[in-house]
Amino acid sequence: MHSRSTPRMSTRTPSRRALALAAGATATALVLTACSGGSDGEGGGGGSDDPIVIGISLPLTGDFSEPGKGVQRGYEAWAQFVNEDGGLLGRQVELKILDDQSNADRVVQDYEALIAQDEVDLVFGPFSTRLVVPSARVAQEYGMLFVEPAGAAAEVFEQGFDNLFYAAPAVADDHYNYLADHILAMPEGERPQTVAVAAMDDPFAQGTAYGLRDKLADAGLDVVVDEVYPPNTTDFSSIAAKISDSGADMVIGGTQYQDAVNLIVALQQLDYQPTLAAFSTAPTNPEFAAAIGSKTEGILSPTGYTETASWPSNVEFVERYTELHGNPPGEDEANAYTTGQVVAAAVEAVGCAEQGECQQELVDWLRSNEVETVVGPLTWDETGKPQGAHLIQQYVDGEIQIVLPEDAQEADFVFPKPAW
Amino acid sequence: MTGTLLFQSLVLGVLLGGLYALLAAGLTLYFGVMRVVMIAHSAFLILAAYLAWFFNQQTGMDPLLSLVITVPLFFLVGVGMQRLLITRLRAATLTMMSVLLTFAVALFIEGMIGFVWSGTQRRIQLPYSGASIEFFGARIAVVKLVAFGLAALSLALLYLLMKHSRFGQALRATIQHREAAQLVGIKTDRVAGYGFGLGLATAAIGGTALSLDATIYPSLHWHWIGPLMAIIVVGGLGSIPGAAIAAMVLGIGQSLLQVPLGTTWAQTIFYVALFATLMLRPQGFFGGRLAQRF
Repeated sequence: MHSRSTPRMSTRTPSRRALALAAGATATALVLTACSGGSDGEGGGGGSDDPIVIGISLPLTGDFSEPGKGVQRGYEAWAQFVNEDGGLLGRQVELKILDDQSNADRVVQDYEALIAQDEVDLVFGPFSTRLVVPSARVAQEYGMLFVEPAGAAAEVFEQGFDNLFYAAPAVADDHYNYLADHILAMPEGERPQTVAVAAMDDPFAQGTAYGLRDKLADAGLDVVVDEVYPPNTTDFSSIAAKISDSGADMVIGGTQYQDAVNLIVALQQLDYQPTLAAFSTAPTNPEFAAAIGSKTEGILSPTGYTETASWPSNVEFVERYTELHGNPPGEDEANAYTTGQVVAAAVEAVGCAEQGECQQELVDWLRSNEVETVVGPLTWDETGKPQGAHLIQQYVDGEIQIVLPEDAQEADFVFPKPAW
Repeated sequence: MTGTLLFQSLVLGVLLGGLYALLAAGLTLYFGVMRVVMIAHSAFLILAAYLAWFFNQQTGMDPLLSLVITVPLFFLVGVGMQRLLITRLRAATLTMMSVLLTFAVALFIEGMIGFVWSGTQRRIQLPYSGASIEFFGARIAVVKLVAFGLAALSLALLYLLMKHSRFGQALRATIQHREAAQLVGIKTDRVAGYGFGLGLATAAIGGTALSLDATIYPSLHWHWIGPLMAIIVVGGLGSIPGAAIAAMVLGIGQSLLQVPLGTTWAQTIFYVALFATLMLRPQGFFGGRLAQRF
């Protein structure tokens, strides 16, 4: 294309000439990009001493940057520990992490590029259901195994993916199962009668809140407020006013991070005092207590992970992670680490890590085996849904502690919630 | 819906409208003085909020004290930005090119905030962040009241400055007719620089007010610029009282609409108002004959 356009250029006007030059330059650039992409791929995929390259796209900026960075720390810790222990199949592990800016279009581009252009050997999932679904579709098209740390909403498992595995104990709808059971086991006169729900317009956040809401509603509790807000909402005073005005006994927040913090502060400003307050995700974040201050007492949250769990690999993980970062890992870090463990277990068992038939063998192995992880032993059904429930944590004496189920509890369930 | 909820929403709307008014005042000022569409206004707002957070983090003192530093700083940055960047744009395409230029500035600020303080969401922890006072059955959060007071005070000062000082007269003359202002001896370039600085100073105040009661992160400014742009168009481009009135009306409207419609649909009030204005009264509802020239 470049050489054909050159002779004709001389007869053209200056502006056309410039255009042709630009077109030529673009074509050259494209060819160069394609070449460098190819050589990269050969470097990554070839001989048995080359590192195993794992492609990942994460929301390092934008709405999900807070949990996104946690997932990044988890992945990086996993890679470092694996490499220190001699690698996978005797090969070093190398992560290639791109920033999708919390944008679903971007995440698709990222995985396309990682798989087709960079020819990575394996992929790990991104954060949040909204980004997991589109990226899982890309992985499915290329026949890649897709283990993900964050897509917990029901819709993830309704897409017909046969390559996807969620590396956590339970899906969103089941997160609050222990809490629902506990509330329904209280005597009718003592348990909360009315419930206010506010959930982000996000499949994961809504999944957690609606799982609990529906179980309580089925048992005869009144849902008096049921609000949905878009993910970019920053002013929660009006939602708080509605909840406060309803006087609901219990408030459930289907939240991520900043929305929970802003909603809780707005509720406090209106002096609304529920007897139970449950919020997803945010309370387990180490930043949470710093943001809310001393007013966290009694706030409930489901968690798929706790650093104090006694699973063998977890004890080691917490020790090494704490040595590396100076603080213990949170849930996001642990879920990411779990993803690494799940993929590593499959790779070690099957004995390969590359694109092509190997990926299907990895999928088949995970379908029929149990994997020991930092969140306990995991198994999956045919849609990739894990078979378990989440622990319920509560802020008791200024610290977040497991209160449900009773055989795992670190502190007694506090009811009614102290005033905030 | 109860009467208490309605009144509470009205109170919240007034508080929100006050903050919108201050922020929109700055934005409309740039356009009035220089026909500049300042996309980076809300980015400076978030920058000021970050500076307030950083100040509180480092010194442990009340974030409001950071105004002593940020207001003069932002004024100087504004003058500098006008003198060094905006004046280099060709007059014929100034308005359109200023969109591109200030868009770039907004991206730059967002990137730098992320680079320096990371994308982690921050919140200033104040002893009075959850405190509120009772007001005829409604509750007014102390932080929101402080923010509102700050906005009202700044707007009043801005009004006095514009109406009763020689600089204000020169600024208004520049807004009304630049050539005529030059003919009577006003140094319009210098006045425009100060006007830009003044606009940015309002962003410093608004950002500090915002930091009292918001969780901040680098990309937060994109959530603010849309509503603010809508407000200054509805209010009439270049008209500060118009922007203030439109901000109040839309802020209260948004707050009240959230009761029946929910958060998702209540947001659309800004864009419905924007479309309605452009269709029915493109020069804006509350003054601002400037828009007719475009």
